[in-house]
Amino acid sequence: MKKLFLLSIISLLTSAVFSQEFAKQVTTARSAYAAGKLDDSRFAMQQMLQEIDMVIGKEVLKILPTKMEDQMASTAKDQVMATSGFIGTSIHREYGTGDKMISLDLITNSPLIGTFNAILSVPFIANTGDQKVIKIDGYKAVVQKVGSNTDKPDYEVQLPLHNNLITFKAPGYTQDQVIKMANTIPATQIAKMLQ
Amino acid sequence: MRIKTILLFWLSAAFLQTPANAQGLLKKVKDKVNQAVNAAGATPASTPSSTNSGNSNRNTGNTTGEGLVITPPDVNENLTSAETAFKSGNYSEARYSVQQAMLGVELQIGHQVLKSMPASISGLKADTTQDKVASVSWGWQGLTIQRTYGTDAKRLNIGIANNAVLLQAVNLYFTNGGYAESSNQQQNWKQTKVKGNRAVIEFDKSTGYKLSVPLGQTSLLVYEGINFATEQEMMTAANQLDIDQIKKLLGEK
Repeated sequence: MKKLFLLSIISLLTSAVFSQEFAKQVTTARSAYAAGKLDDSRFAMQQMLQEIDMVIGKEVLKILPTKMEDQMASTAKDQVMATSGFIGTSIHREYGTGDKMISLDLITNSPLIGTFNAILSVPFIANTGDQKVIKIDGYKAVVQKVGSNTDKPDYEVQLPLHNNLITFKAPGYTQDQVIKMANTIPATQIAKMLQ
Repeated sequence: MRIKTILLFWLSAAFLQTPANAQGLLKKVKDKVNQAVNAAGATPASTPSSTNSGNSNRNTGNTTGEGLVITPPDVNENLTSAETAFKSGNYSEARYSVQQAMLGVELQIGHQVLKSMPASISGLKADTTQDKVASVSWGWQGLTIQRTYGTDAKRLNIGIANNAVLLQAVNLYFTNGGYAESSNQQQNWKQTKVKGNRAVIEFDKSTGYKLSVPLGQTSLLVYEGINFATEQEMMTAANQLDIDQIKKLLGEK
C-alpha cells in the first residue's frame, strides 16, 4: 500500500515536471516565431515533441498488463526513451527474471515501421515454416521462431500498429502460451494513444 | 531470421525513399487489374456506358476546377491547440498540433530560402513555377526545397534537404577526410570546396555535373548542372548562391 502511494506521488511529480517543460517550450516557440527566428521556434517544437513522446511512453506503460502468465512486471526496469525522428520513441517493459524473462518493446512513430503493415500482407513473406500471421486485438501480427534450439524453440511476436512496432519476447514458453500472453496487450488502446 | 528482418527494413526504407517507384508499382498493379477485368468480359474502363444514363459521365476527364487553396498550417493556432490538448491529457492530439505547427514553420523557412536565391545564375533565369517546398515536419525526410534555373537546353537544379536525420550520416561521410577518391584515367568524382564549404563534385555523361555540399549538421545542398561545358563553369554557377544566408535561415552553423 505504502509502495503504491509512493509510486503515485512519483508519477504525479514526473507528470508535473513534463508539463512545466512543455509549457516552457511552448513559450519559447511562440516568442521565437513572433521574433521571426523560425529555426529557434522549430527547435523548441522538436523539444515539445520529445516531451510529448516521453509522456505518451509513460502512459503506455501504465496500461500494460501487470502480469504475464506466472511472471510479474518489473516496473522498476521500465524505460522510455524519446529520440528524434528516424527511430522514434522506445518503450521497454520486463516481466520476471532469469531464463524465462519476458520482454515487451515498443518503438513508436518510426516512419520505417509504417510499411511493415504492407509486408505483413505479402503471403510468401508473412507465412513461412518459421513464422505465421496471427491477430492480436484485431491487429495483424507475426509470431516467429527465434534462437537455434530446434527441439524447443523460443517465440516472439511482432505487432505493427500504424507507425509503431511492438516486439514481444517470451523465451521458454510454447507458441500457444506466447500468443495467449500477447493477446493480453491492449493493442487498440495503445494504438489510440500513439496515433 | 535476423538477416530477413534487416532485409525487410531496407525494403521498407526503399519504399519510403522512392515514392515515384511506389507509384509506378501501384500503376502496374492497376494496369494488371484492368487487364484481368477486361479479359473477364467486363466493360473496359475507358469505354463509357451508353445504356446506363446514370453512369454516363463516370469516366469523363476533369476539365475545370481551381484546385486547392494554399493554406499552410497556422503556427500560433496550432501551438495553442497543442497546449490545450496537452493540459487535458490528449497527447496524440497535442502531438498532431505540434507537428502541424512545425510544418507551418518549415514551409515558411523553405520559402524564405527560395526568396534568398538570386533571380538568375550565370545567365540562367530562375523558373519560379518549378519552385517546391515540402516538409514532413519531423525526422526521416525533413524539409526539402527545390529551385530550377534555365531551360531544357541548359539547366541548373538546386535541391536542399534540411533537418533529415539520415543527413547526419551523409555529412559524416562527406566531411571525413579519410574518404579519398580513387583516380584513374577518367575521374568522375572528387572533393572540392564551395565558398569554403567542403563538397563533392561528380560528372556523368548522361546526367551532367552534380555538386553536393553538406551544410552544418543536418542539411545538404545539391546542384545539378545539365549541359554545363566545364567543371569551372559549374563551380562559378555554384558560387553565386549565398550559402551563408541559406545556412542562417536553416539554423545551421
